[in-house]
Amino acid sequence: MSESVTHDLRVIVAGGGEMGVRTAELLDDRGHDVVIVESDPDRCDELADRYIATIIEGDASRPATLRQAQPERSDVIAALTDDETTNFAICMAAQRMSDIRTVMRISETADELYEEFVDGLVFPERLGARAATNEIANGGVRTIEDIGGNVEVVEVEVADDAPVAGKRLDEVRLPRGSLIIVDYRGDRLGGPDTVLEPGHRYVLAVESNVADEVMNLFRG
Amino acid sequence: MSLSLLDATMVGIGAMIGAGIFVLTGLAVDISGPAALLAFALNGGVTTFTALSYAELASAIPRNGGGYAYVREVFSAPVAFVMGWTRWFTYMIAGSLYALGFASNFLEFGHIYGVTLPGQPVLYALGAVVTLVALNALSTEASGRGETAITLVKIAILGVFVAFGLTAADVGEFDPFFTEGPLSLLPAMGLTFIAFQGYDLIATVTEEVENPQVNIPRAILLSVLVTVVVYLLVVFVAIGTLGADALAGAGETAIAQAAEGFMPAFPIIGSGAALIAFGAVFSTISALNAVVIGSSRVAFAMGRERQLPARLGRFHYRYGTPLAAILVSAVVMLIAVVVVPIRIVGNLASLFSLLGFIIVNYALIRLRRRQPDLQRPFEVPFYPLTPILGIACNVLLGLFIDPFTWILAIGWLLFGGGVYLLLSRRGDIGPSGPPEIQEPEPIQTAEQTDD
Repeated sequence: MSESVTHDLRVIVAGGGEMGVRTAELLDDRGHDVVIVESDPDRCDELADRYIATIIEGDASRPATLRQAQPERSDVIAALTDDETTNFAICMAAQRMSDIRTVMRISETADELYEEFVDGLVFPERLGARAATNEIANGGVRTIEDIGGNVEVVEVEVADDAPVAGKRLDEVRLPRGSLIIVDYRGDRLGGPDTVLEPGHRYVLAVESNVADEVMNLFRG
Repeated sequence: MSLSLLDATMVGIGAMIGAGIFVLTGLAVDISGPAALLAFALNGGVTTFTALSYAELASAIPRNGGGYAYVREVFSAPVAFVMGWTRWFTYMIAGSLYALGFASNFLEFGHIYGVTLPGQPVLYALGAVVTLVALNALSTEASGRGETAITLVKIAILGVFVAFGLTAADVGEFDPFFTEGPLSLLPAMGLTFIAFQGYDLIATVTEEVENPQVNIPRAILLSVLVTVVVYLLVVFVAIGTLGADALAGAGETAIAQAAEGFMPAFPIIGSGAALIAFGAVFSTISALNAVVIGSSRVAFAMGRERQLPARLGRFHYRYGTPLAAILVSAVVMLIAVVVVPIRIVGNLASLFSLLGFIIVNYALIRLRRRQPDLQRPFEVPFYPLTPILGIACNVLLGLFIDPFTWILAIGWLLFGGGVYLLLSRRGDIGPSGPPEIQEPEPIQTAEQTDD
């Protein structure tokens, strides 16, 4: 981006459920301005109590209500209600009203054509699955982030009897498509002299096709 | 940090009580005689209309930055620029008013102890500005709780003044009431209006207030109420003890001089008048501190919104303070201290505060129209009468401020317009290309998942 000055965003969040509110809170923490549109009056009272965003009471898929959130003055609209078609309608209406970036929440496997219409998709169930997997298979491996389609950032603990335990990184042959990012102290990037101490945790980037192999090397 | 209702109220009271009452009482009595008391009462009424609008906006729009932030939410960029530009100037000019008041009262303080301090008052005023600017430039440790203690001390000192003064006050001093004619009320109101504008500082710290949607409207209205009551008592005592003529002659040290007449001696401090003079010195310096912070915050907010060069909207990498915003504000304050006489300073500050309040009241009306479904935990009673009365009263008071002040004010606005045009032509301000937005997290479509 050519402009280096960070600009505070004005963001419309449609849907004041837990996801919408948490998003608003995180944005607020980063200094952005948020407007939440929520149709349930009781929920609106609760949201107003939290004092993190301007609240508009009404259905965001109604143009008259959406207009009050001033999409023409906003940078992004995030349609985060639990209804996929509603979210799509909100994004479409907002785009008609102004030149605004659109982010929509989906609840089914994404329709591949969505990308032609909206700028970003959020799939909470998918993110939830990652969190669930971390909790369930709590065997020394945690997914930190899905970077893209194919790469995961994971945190892995070296098992005592793992093949790589106690070895320097230039002694072991990690598969192509994997990279140690941070050593166990958390203060240095991985390099040839990094020692893979058993019982310590390392942050790795792995391509999904070698993930299994890497886990075998680290976990035994 | 979180501010309780008491803390939040004290932020408003702290900015209003003190400097205005110490510095402006004598000048107001000079204009309208004993009727200055009524001028203060009516100003309290006028400011309440706007305070109600602030309360509604602050409860509905959770954003630090005060009036400027609300106006930015409601209006297009140029209107918000005018609001920010005038608010900024109000704080800076109020800063020079308080610095000058500090200097006079500081000399008076020495005088009570029999010490004649060398040098011109202006030098002391400049020294005060430089010191506070330096403090604020180097550190952001301006704690709300410290502010509460300071404000309570100010109220206590004025309480002592009122307690002794009420027994000594002579109602006969108020007869005749209108020595300068009833119409003299309006310029007196215009001059002293600046004393009633500190509550909007509450609106600049809203995000730190506990249970904000209830406590912010309460804090705003409470601080106005308490301030008006204190002002009326103090002005009543001052006129009732010293008499209008002597008070008018005393100018910005009027309250301290009134105290000399009736205050008994205290142990350690010496005369009671010294206590009041100390109160005046203390109040003007704390108010000066408040407006140094206030002015730099407005400049900072405008910098962030790209209504002034972005440099003003940044923290200094070393000191962690909005250094550029503070320094630019300080320069204007210093110039105002040196070149503008105190009465003009008071008038200018009042005029810009009136202008800002007109815009805030109009913002309320416009927001009600354009966003009817906005959640408003606090609503202005008797809408639309209240904001309309607020606008009408502010316009009326503005019209009675003398033409010279208007010329200066228009000059500053034109200068602002020039700056705005110049900066927007150079591309220093205004929306600057697409904002920096993180790329979305890609999600595999059904097709990709399959392979």
